[in-house]
Amino acid sequence: MSEKMGAIESRVYRAYWNDGLLDVFAAVGVLAIGISWTFDVVVAGAVTPALLVPLWGPFRQRFIEPRLGTVEFSDARERTNRERLRLVILLGVGAFALGVSLYFLRDRLALDPDVSLIAGLPAFLLAVLAALTALLVSTGRFLAYAALLILAGAIGATSGWEPGLILVSAAFPMLLVAIAVLLRFFRNNPVTTEGPE
Amino acid sequence: MSDSIGIELPPIDDLLHEPARLRLLVLLSVVKRTDFTYLLKLSGMSKGNLSVQMNKLGDANMVKIDKSFQGNRPRTMYELTAQGRKALREYKKNMKAILAALPD
Repeated sequence: MSEKMGAIESRVYRAYWNDGLLDVFAAVGVLAIGISWTFDVVVAGAVTPALLVPLWGPFRQRFIEPRLGTVEFSDARERTNRERLRLVILLGVGAFALGVSLYFLRDRLALDPDVSLIAGLPAFLLAVLAALTALLVSTGRFLAYAALLILAGAIGATSGWEPGLILVSAAFPMLLVAIAVLLRFFRNNPVTTEGPE
Repeated sequence: MSDSIGIELPPIDDLLHEPARLRLLVLLSVVKRTDFTYLLKLSGMSKGNLSVQMNKLGDANMVKIDKSFQGNRPRTMYELTAQGRKALREYKKNMKAILAALPD
C-alpha cells in the first residue's frame, strides 16, 4: 500500500478524536487557568496542563475505549503527527515568548492600558494552541474554540476585564460544547463488548 | 479438447472480492492495528458478521488475530499481515487491469 495517507485514513483518524474528551480536557484547562488567574494563583494555572496530561490515558481507557475501541495508526501517520507536534511546540513556545515579551515591554511600547489588548494576551496565546490542536487532531471544533478565545480576548481586553475573567468567559461556552459532544458520543456509542449479540 | 478461445483475465481472489471482507481489509490497510470494537464502529457491520469475516481472513493468514484481556474485558486486536497486504496489492492491480479492459 502507498505510504500516502488517503481519505479513508483521514476519516478513521478524525473519528478517533471526535468523542469530545479532548474538548472537555481543553475547556477544563482553560477554566482552571482562568480561575487561578482570577484568584491570583497563576502558578496553579500553569501546573493545570501537567495535572491533566497523566489523566488523559486512564480517562480514555475508562470512558471512551469501551464504546469506541482502540486503534494504532500507521507509521506514516505517527511521523506526520510527530512533525505537527514539533510545529505545535515551536509555535506555542514562540507565541508564549512573544506574549511574555509584549507583557513586560508594554510600558516601553507605550501601550495605552485602556485601549491595548494586553489583558487578552493569555486568551490569544491559548487560541494559538487551540488552532494548532485543530491541525494536530484534524478537528474543526478546535478552530471554533480558537475563534472564541480570540473574541473573548478582544472583547474582554477592550472592556477592561482581567485576563482571568476573559479566560473563564471563554471556557464556559467551550465546556458546554465539550460536554454536549461527549454526551452525544455516549448516547450514540453504548458500551460494546466482544462476543455474540 | 476444449474450444476455449483462451482470453485470460487477471485472476480475482474470491476471499477478497466479497464486499464485507474487502471493506475490512481496506480499513485494516490504513492503520497499524485495531481492536474488534473500533473495527465494528468503522465498518458498521454486525458483531456476528464481523466476527465471521475476520475469522475467515485470519484462517487465510491475511490478518493476524491477537486475543487478550484488558482488565476483565476480552480484547481482540487485528493486524493486516504481509501476506494480506500483498494480496490486497495484487487484487488492486488485477481489478485495475480488468476495469481498464471495459469499454467506456
